[in-house]
Amino acid sequence: MNLARRTFLSRTAAAGLGFTALQSLLNGAATGAAGAVQPLHHPAKAKRIIFLYQAGGPSHLETFDYKPKLAEMHGKPMPESITKGQQIAQLQGKPLICFGPQFEFQKFGKSGLEICKLFPQIGSIADKVCLVRSMWTEQINHDPAHAIMNAGNILSGRPSMGSWVVYGLGSESQNLPGFVVLMSSGRGGQMQPIASRQWSSGFLPGKYQGVKLNSNGDPVLYIGNPHGVTPDAQKNTISAVNALNRMQYDQLRDPEIQTRISQYELAFQMQSSVPDLVDMSKEPQSVLDRYGAVPGDGSFASNCLLARRLAERGVRFIQLYHRDWDHHAGIPQNIPLKAEEVDRPTAALIQDLEQRGMLEDTLVIWGGEFGRTPMSQGGNGRDHHIKGFSFMLAGGGVKGGLAYGSTDDFGYAAVEDAVSVHDFHATMLHLLGIDHLRFTQKFQGLDARLTGVSGEVVKGILA
Amino acid sequence: MRSVLISFSGLVFTAAALQGAVSFNRDIRPIMSDTCFRCHGPDQSSRMAGIRLDIRAEALKPTKRGVIPIVPGKPDSSAIVARVFSTNAALLMPPKFSHKELSEAQKNTIRQWVAEGAVYEEHWSYQPVKRPAPPAGYRHPIDAFVRSRLAATGLTPSKEADPRTLLRRLHLDLTGLPPTPAEVADYLQKKNYEQVVDQLLASDRYAERQAMQWLDAVRYADTSGFHGDNAFPAWPYRDYVLEAIKSNKPFDQFTREQLAGDLLPGASRTTRVASAFNRMSRTSAEGGLQPKEYLAKYGADRVRTVAGIWMGATLGCAECHDHKFDPLKHKDFYAMKAFFADVKETGLVPDQGPTAWGELLPLPNPAQQAAWEALEKQIAATTEELDFKRKAINAEAWSASLKAATKDWAVQVPVAATASHGTVLKVYGNEPLLSVYESGGSMVSDSKPGNGLIVAEGPNPDNETFTITLKPGAGSWYSLGFEVHSDDRLPGARLARGSDRLLVTEIETWSGGQKVPTSTARSNAAFWEPGLTPWNLIDGKPDTGWGVVTYRSQRSNFVAIDFEQPLVTTADSVLKVIVRHDSQYRRAVAGRVRLALASTANAQPPKEGTRDLTIPALPPGPLDAAIVDATHPELAPVWRKLSMLKSDQTNLRAEIPQVVTTVADASPAQTRVLARGNFMDESGEVVLPAIPAFLGKLEVAKDQRATRLDLANWLVSPDNPLTSRTYVNRLWRQLFGTGLSKVLEDLGSQGEWPTHPELLDWLAAEFSSDWDMKRLVRVIVTSDTYKQSSTPTPEMAAKDPDNRLLARQSRFRVDAEIVRDVVLSASGLLAADKFGGPSVRPYQPLGYLAALNFPKRDYSESRGPDLYRRGLYSFWQRTFLHPSMAAFDGPSREECTLNRSASNTPVQSLVLLNDPSYVEAARVLAERLVASSDSIAKRIDLAFEQATSRRATAKERAVLANLYRTERARFRTAPPDAKALVATGEAPHQANARDLADLAATVSVARAILNLHEVITRN
Repeated sequence: MNLARRTFLSRTAAAGLGFTALQSLLNGAATGAAGAVQPLHHPAKAKRIIFLYQAGGPSHLETFDYKPKLAEMHGKPMPESITKGQQIAQLQGKPLICFGPQFEFQKFGKSGLEICKLFPQIGSIADKVCLVRSMWTEQINHDPAHAIMNAGNILSGRPSMGSWVVYGLGSESQNLPGFVVLMSSGRGGQMQPIASRQWSSGFLPGKYQGVKLNSNGDPVLYIGNPHGVTPDAQKNTISAVNALNRMQYDQLRDPEIQTRISQYELAFQMQSSVPDLVDMSKEPQSVLDRYGAVPGDGSFASNCLLARRLAERGVRFIQLYHRDWDHHAGIPQNIPLKAEEVDRPTAALIQDLEQRGMLEDTLVIWGGEFGRTPMSQGGNGRDHHIKGFSFMLAGGGVKGGLAYGSTDDFGYAAVEDAVSVHDFHATMLHLLGIDHLRFTQKFQGLDARLTGVSGEVVKGILA
Repeated sequence: MRSVLISFSGLVFTAAALQGAVSFNRDIRPIMSDTCFRCHGPDQSSRMAGIRLDIRAEALKPTKRGVIPIVPGKPDSSAIVARVFSTNAALLMPPKFSHKELSEAQKNTIRQWVAEGAVYEEHWSYQPVKRPAPPAGYRHPIDAFVRSRLAATGLTPSKEADPRTLLRRLHLDLTGLPPTPAEVADYLQKKNYEQVVDQLLASDRYAERQAMQWLDAVRYADTSGFHGDNAFPAWPYRDYVLEAIKSNKPFDQFTREQLAGDLLPGASRTTRVASAFNRMSRTSAEGGLQPKEYLAKYGADRVRTVAGIWMGATLGCAECHDHKFDPLKHKDFYAMKAFFADVKETGLVPDQGPTAWGELLPLPNPAQQAAWEALEKQIAATTEELDFKRKAINAEAWSASLKAATKDWAVQVPVAATASHGTVLKVYGNEPLLSVYESGGSMVSDSKPGNGLIVAEGPNPDNETFTITLKPGAGSWYSLGFEVHSDDRLPGARLARGSDRLLVTEIETWSGGQKVPTSTARSNAAFWEPGLTPWNLIDGKPDTGWGVVTYRSQRSNFVAIDFEQPLVTTADSVLKVIVRHDSQYRRAVAGRVRLALASTANAQPPKEGTRDLTIPALPPGPLDAAIVDATHPELAPVWRKLSMLKSDQTNLRAEIPQVVTTVADASPAQTRVLARGNFMDESGEVVLPAIPAFLGKLEVAKDQRATRLDLANWLVSPDNPLTSRTYVNRLWRQLFGTGLSKVLEDLGSQGEWPTHPELLDWLAAEFSSDWDMKRLVRVIVTSDTYKQSSTPTPEMAAKDPDNRLLARQSRFRVDAEIVRDVVLSASGLLAADKFGGPSVRPYQPLGYLAALNFPKRDYSESRGPDLYRRGLYSFWQRTFLHPSMAAFDGPSREECTLNRSASNTPVQSLVLLNDPSYVEAARVLAERLVASSDSIAKRIDLAFEQATSRRATAKERAVLANLYRTERARFRTAPPDAKALVATGEAPHQANARDLADLAATVSVARAILNLHEVITRN
């Protein structure tokens, strides 16, 4: 893949900059060489993460967690014993009425995993996925819930999980960032805002920051040349900049200058590697159809295909936000819209990775910042819910065809094998070969961890 | 007790240190804090085996099981020595689960320390600040401390930097701007260093430079930070900071005003603005938040901020439990929080509407105040007049006639619609069209025939004119109806294509080549946006208009424009309606428009618009007084006058700056200790305001509750040793690249033992003697240590790579705002003559804010000089900081930030290469160069000196001249490229570009120079 290292670069190599040193500059590094965790704490099962982040809080009750008892109780008051003393969001001070699952579920595959019928494509690969039905979190509003799901902490200034992972492992890509964020929106929900702190490197160095890939305008901010500047002209300008910087370096021996020289080379490389990445014109129509992707439409489907292309290019942590899961109203009308948007591409991505032999070392994660209440809001919606919700995992050392943990009969609280956000992070790191307890960085006097002061590896889902 | 400050060798050369006696603070505390205190330190709840090692008396006591941790002088009888040297994994300390290991050297240090008597020292930063005498024999006290220590290490101090480097350093450090070539020349001639220092300290630019650090610390930003992240009125507080620094307000007063400006005796407008400090925390307006939870978050944020800025303490760690390393109790956290329990606020802080942002302080100038009072009087008089006239008319009868007229709107399906500046207008007749809009509090979407809706798509220019062709058929028309539909996919108030606002400046109806005269305009809105009355649409003035600014205004905005005479059409008549958007706002162009014609006089603008084409019948009985007022021939003129006055008043209110402020509640909220920080646990002890117990007790009158003012007074009193130390340490970081104690936010146990403790204390003593911020800067920058060259000798690089011993100055990249300032200044583009004022918006990629909502945002860059102001004035959007600022480590300011990192990334290169702000700077610089000389060598020399404050070498000049020639040749073969490049940006163009290829190639040279590492480096 190392095509870009042509004359332009070899000139800099001649200036005394080694190959690996060069790679270590771009948010991560060559394999293993620049990660902070070396050697790995234990053999890794997964080499990269693709997190299909369903922002807004998908209803577990219309996706992966079927509750016949709740259906029976539909329209009746939720027993107070369940809800007493619990946090509540928009239903504060409102009657709490059971709201049964709005769609049928079906058993899929040999494993017989129960999945909502709206997700037949995911159902078709049921034996490859692991449903964690006992997730819980502690933050009930979107903003802090995103913060804890992404950074394990509600305080601003903490690194996001992607930054931690790239810091720990480096990146295998030579000319793309190690942590890439994509975003898509859909139909039929309130588009809750998302903050850039969700991919911030916090107190880790800025090069571990997630880089957002846009479907409109420049795919990466400022990746395009100024008007009237051709790639050749840009190259000439950068060559002059670096020639002058090199003269300074020869005189001062300041390693920051050396780094700057390399960064200009990398910037130039990114200017061709990024457009190449997002150019899907060479993808066969059959592949596009399988995902349901229309190049350039910025859809979740297109982003799933881009995720595969990023994974192929060695990007370590790929996070896709799909917005619009905040269904305070209109569950019956709107969940089918979401299903239509995500079912096919999610399944296509997992199958595509498998066919390319990449699923075994890619951990695919599907889930949002919280779930939704088993109580109705306004008669046809569901409020935010933190005590129990579902995640779907696939590949990367996780058992397939497994349902792990469960909520109570109402789908209210995780009661069996409850998995906290820190447990989830600990498990993710474990699969990557990292012991979350030993993966620390000094911050304000503490040995700060992604998992704060808790977190246990969920052994039951490991293959 | 041994003096804390006895040793001159420090952390840097630990091996050397061990040849002498072991010092607890220097050698032992860092080891113990990192590896022992977590289980054997201040936090009782996590203490193991009953052993506590942070207090000597405790460490000498036998445990219940008879183990004695430390026996002074007898390492072999001391359990801690046995345990750290143990080869038995079960006994070894620190234990395996801690993932901490001691080196052999560290173990030996512990043994030696016990052998020497296990002498403890109080933690250095908690000791009273005493003023150490500088070692004799040096010109300047700072040099005395630094150089006497250097002498012991064998390193020699560097020579003074060359004058150009020194002057540039001084300018960048004190003002954040490079010196001009003229300033350089002047200095080379006069070498009047101290005079220059004084000039710079007196400049507005100094205040701007110093404010940046303070704004980071106090987490100043322009948006609320949580969820919708909407803009809140904060900038007058930034002006306060600027003015305070400029006037060199003593730091103790600066402290009091910010923490307790509302409580000071003789509180003034200025001190109340200062008290906005307490309101800079992030706030949320997210629906469904639990108020108690957020009140807890806001309070905790204040504790972290105050403890960080003034105490260098990580008190935030004690929100859930006792501090693990420092003597800060769980209760101390809440006692500090209780100081702020009187700040009037709500958990959900509304971000729009009349109650937005809670307590606000309006800041009218005298003229505005007078205008306000005059308007109040006129409004009262006109209201009286209207009331009087109302009595004389028959409202019932008038209502009845109006109701009949309301149904008489004929919606028009245009036969054509075009736009003159590139927008693509699409008319939807019977074709279905997807609409997404708010209904009953939630978003609904439907797909219905457009019925004449005109949708703007494609290019999105700032100004646009629609020409809409109608064929209404035969009829007699009294009014034109102009309706703007909301759609959720449009930003801001969901009406225009940009989020600034919707602003239509004129609407004209043309028939048979004649403009149809109009009499008045009426809207269906209950009120108008400030100054945006509907009749602005027909006043013929391009600088006035009608529109909508406010998010969550109504869904359909309908204006009826009345013709002077009924407009008669035949079956084939063609009307042209021209809709102009000529305002100075960006993309304030309507997104979805529908036209209608009224077949009766005074047809009422329908409340719900024409979206569903069924205009609902008006309710029975008399209509709203406002409708009668607006239409009745007797009332309308007075009503219109009153409306104008009210509109002026709203307009004036919008003009008067305001700022969030602190208002004290007479009965402060109860503050409880929250077990594990859990806001739902209401079983904790109730606490009163108090400083951390180990630092003493505030003296307040009996039965009096200590206030924020008491806290402020204590922070700047001699009883508190932390404030002056943290301040001077941060200033040292700014002027040398690293603090004397490296961890700026933590002077506690887990922080760093200072490299020069005596110097730190000397500076702290100096500072706290008069709290003179400028004098402190002056003291430091006039030392030889400051003025040294930053180039290391090989010996220095080897012995002291991080320059902790200060045998040289440091080189480091300038801060994010200054990257911008330096480049804009070098290009001549910087608007540097204005000081303070509202935040401005530089260019920013469209779509960067796409992930925001409530409302959807796009971005409208400023115009004119406001596009080119210093970085510190850039609009600070917390959840999406301007990408160029973020690339250079500008902090989001969601939290108190006391130290910025200085990363070096490819994204930074992309910014300097391709961000239009920087390309434009190069273009403007190139225009100046071309105007200055025809010689490329001369141009290079001028640009190089502008940007780096030094002259280019022959080799450097050759590289750039070569670039020029290559580029000029290329541009000669590609004139469109040259034209495109030199067109970058909105800054006025210099007219005399005879040779485009020459100019464009010079732009390339300027870009290369402005991208040099040296340009953004302070040396």
